[in-house]
Amino acid sequence: MRMEHWWFTTPLRLKSIFRRARAEGELDEELQFHLEKKIEEGVAGGLTPDEARRQALLALGGLDKQKEEMRDARRVHWLTDFLDDVRYAFRSLRRTPGLSAFVVITLALGIGMTATPFSMLDALVFRPYPVPRPADVVTLVSTSRDNAYDLFSYREFVDIREHTKSYAGVIANGDVQPVGFRARLEDTPQVRGGLLVSGNYFRVLGVEPTIGRGFRDDEDAVPGRDAVVVLGSDFWKREFAGDPSIVGRVVRLNGVDFTVIGVAPESFPGMFIFIRPDLYIPFAMAGKFPTNPKKSFFVDRDDRQLVVRARLNRGTTLRKARNEIAVLARNFEREYPKTNLERGAAVHTRFEMRTLDREKNWKFGVIFTGLALAVLLVACTNAAGLLLSRARTRTREIAVRLAIGAGRFRLIRLLLTESLVLAILGGLGGIAVGYAGISAMERFTIPAELPVKVPFQMDTRVLVASLVLSVLSALFCGLAPALQSTRTDLLKGLKASDVDVPGRGHKRLWGRNALVVAQVAMSLMLLAASFLMFRGFQHSLGDGVEFAKEAKDHVLMMRFDPRLVQYSADQTENFYKLLAARVREMPDVRSTGYTQCPPLGLEGFDRVAFVPDGYSMPRDRKSFTAARDIVDDGFFETMGIPILRGRGFRTSDTAETPRVAVVNENFARHYWPNEDAVGQRFRLDGSDGMPVEIVGVAQRIKYQDTFDKGIDFVYLPLTQQRVPRMVLLVRSTGDPLQLAKPVKEIVRTLDANMPVVETRTYADLYRYSAVEGPGVAVKLVGSLGVVGLFLAIAGLYGLVAYNVTRRTREIGIRIAIGAKPADVLRLVMSKGLVLVGIGAGLGVAMGVAVERLMNSMLFDAGGVDLLVYLVVVPAMLLVTMLAAYAPARRATHIAPALTLRAE
Amino acid sequence: MSKPSDLVQGTLDLLLLKMLALEPLHGWAISLRLRAVSGDVLQVSEGSLYPALHKLEQEGWIKAEWKQTENNRRAKFYSLTRLGRKQLESEAANWQRLSAAISYVVQLS
Repeated sequence: MRMEHWWFTTPLRLKSIFRRARAEGELDEELQFHLEKKIEEGVAGGLTPDEARRQALLALGGLDKQKEEMRDARRVHWLTDFLDDVRYAFRSLRRTPGLSAFVVITLALGIGMTATPFSMLDALVFRPYPVPRPADVVTLVSTSRDNAYDLFSYREFVDIREHTKSYAGVIANGDVQPVGFRARLEDTPQVRGGLLVSGNYFRVLGVEPTIGRGFRDDEDAVPGRDAVVVLGSDFWKREFAGDPSIVGRVVRLNGVDFTVIGVAPESFPGMFIFIRPDLYIPFAMAGKFPTNPKKSFFVDRDDRQLVVRARLNRGTTLRKARNEIAVLARNFEREYPKTNLERGAAVHTRFEMRTLDREKNWKFGVIFTGLALAVLLVACTNAAGLLLSRARTRTREIAVRLAIGAGRFRLIRLLLTESLVLAILGGLGGIAVGYAGISAMERFTIPAELPVKVPFQMDTRVLVASLVLSVLSALFCGLAPALQSTRTDLLKGLKASDVDVPGRGHKRLWGRNALVVAQVAMSLMLLAASFLMFRGFQHSLGDGVEFAKEAKDHVLMMRFDPRLVQYSADQTENFYKLLAARVREMPDVRSTGYTQCPPLGLEGFDRVAFVPDGYSMPRDRKSFTAARDIVDDGFFETMGIPILRGRGFRTSDTAETPRVAVVNENFARHYWPNEDAVGQRFRLDGSDGMPVEIVGVAQRIKYQDTFDKGIDFVYLPLTQQRVPRMVLLVRSTGDPLQLAKPVKEIVRTLDANMPVVETRTYADLYRYSAVEGPGVAVKLVGSLGVVGLFLAIAGLYGLVAYNVTRRTREIGIRIAIGAKPADVLRLVMSKGLVLVGIGAGLGVAMGVAVERLMNSMLFDAGGVDLLVYLVVVPAMLLVTMLAAYAPARRATHIAPALTLRAE
Repeated sequence: MSKPSDLVQGTLDLLLLKMLALEPLHGWAISLRLRAVSGDVLQVSEGSLYPALHKLEQEGWIKAEWKQTENNRRAKFYSLTRLGRKQLESEAANWQRLSAAISYVVQLS
């Protein structure tokens, strides 16, 4: 019955909606037909045609009333009314284009400013794993007193897999690591991201390779036997142009032949947020990849490098799984007290992992989103203010509507529709703004050795959130004006426009006044802050960065890790020696050097513990520490760091000669303030450590980033501190990038298997740490300041406009009795200007406070940067004056006669 | 002037359905027919006829079609649907029960 009912009625409803004009026409025609017949009948009964017509109409009881009743019978009037409202809203908004545009832009900024950080929060927290039934996939963690989210070792993983019953499968993976990759034997190895995974990885995740297959269990059974690899989808497209016949092909990874057995599907970019693995390799092949040199991957129970995940059985609760793993961890503790003492285990969902383990990410996202929501709230309040001033001018219109019988609810609906239209337009604009913000963030490149993918995108969740926000803001900023303007006293509304009782109006405006003051103050503070930051960065680029400005145009960097091709320490030393010698023979090369960690790079410096000879140690300390780098004899010349006293390293400093070091000025001054540090000694690690003689003092530079204040720094020679992973620096006379190819050629002749982990010019690092990184911060604060300024303008404009419309009559009278335009301007603007003044005062005070904070945290510059305020404050005053002036000017054009008569 | 006795609520629907069960009719014809069959006892104001028809149509009980009249004018003819036939049956049965009960009560006193 019900179904049948719908079957018959749905087409009728649709017709009423979509064939509206036709339905209306038919309505007319039907009634007209009846009317004519009725008239005919009347005439036949002896009436005059006019009288017949009159009676016929009378009998029908009014054509329009009939039609309205018939329309109601259609039961779709809520929708058709809504469409009418939308149409009407567009028309009435077009009547005040400036104000409408202002509201739309305000909301667009508010919503857009929220979309960007929300997309970040989404990527970091909410986005599910790209696998079927993602909610079943949980993460298992080892817990200890220092780390509640520790990893597992291979042996532990195997035991967990064997001894748990809660899961459909337990998988593990290592970290994405650089792998030397060659598609063909004759190519130079490229560095790609490889991921060691358990053999059941794809099967348990439910990821079916589109081409070829995933691993078989027996391919992860015998260490070193099955050299098979599954390619990541992106990688396959990039490197092999999506070649479908890839399966069975042999590629070289770290100098070992691997057979491609499959390609991961495009829908599976991997389980990481920021990085997409290129190559998936079974654990059994772990021997061919650099692992912790001090541990044995397959043997040591405390070689904890693996992320263990599992897919819960249907019907198994998280609680049960947690109990099970806790029991297992206690067994481990009993059986292997040496490695597992005081070590537990836990099970966490994706959300828990992303919010608890990556606490910083999540907090950052939440704070950022919260700030943005605050901006949106202010934007909405402003829009509400603007709409309120608009609603005021329509008091009469609304009173007329009410008088001829429109329901209050109906009118509120109409007004809300108007703000909904504005908010949806704002929402669309906001999506555009958000999109721009997101793509700006995507463009920001990070010079890491493996490509980092910034995962922010405008996906469905972000879009839905933006639209929900716009509807909410429509309600928020439309409801108050709608309620207020329909509450109008009919009589007063019809009679005049200035219905505000002065005393009451004052109170109601208090909130808006405070808002304007706050906006002016906040935006001034933010603008000042961004300007200060900009100046601070400029300043930070002065001292200690000269070397980088010089080096950025001339230095090429190449990172090597001979562990990738299983080199011994001697082989490594030999390789580096040969490489440097051969590169130096090239025509455009001025010099070469090695460093473990180039200054201003991404990686932090290791620290070294030492005790200066003849220095009385404080009682509570056994040693001091300082940042250190390991470099060779060519480093200082190549990087352009001057040696102020003594000498740099020489080839004559070898493993057999006494240990030497070069320190920087700060180090020297710190420990030997009154004498020359050259010739002094310190002991490494502790008072009974190896003695080291200081042979030179190097100029202080900026080490980690351009803000670091003078830190103590020690250079140790490569010959006396052998480390495998080094960066070759090549200083050229011309464009350093020209050297990249020939240097790689030399690497290939030395060892065709040796991958170049990373190739960049020094300009990349410089740009990142000195240009783009700071640039992002300046832009971020700056854009907040600009948005704040815009909001302040909108708020002020709204306030003054509201006052002008409210007092139109009064102003008309004043003009009529002889007030000059200047008097009128003063009358309506004075209050706005007082607010701006208060706001600016507060803003300057806050700006100075922020400046002190920033100086103590980032910059060296002391005192107040007067220039900043000399620029920002007048600019601010000018702009806000204009915002108040625009509506005020309208007041001077009020024609007194017209106002008095018409209103 | 006495008010014409209003139709018992809901009976107009029943009358219309019954009438259309016999043959498809247009609005004017229905109003003539109503007057003819019920004489002056039931006065259906023409004002309530069309909204009632529309309501029945939207309920899916009757359907409308544009056809030519005898003297070649376009008019909207209403006819009963399958759903309307069911509705007529149940409403007629209701009416029988109601009127029987009322006449019984009236005769009692």
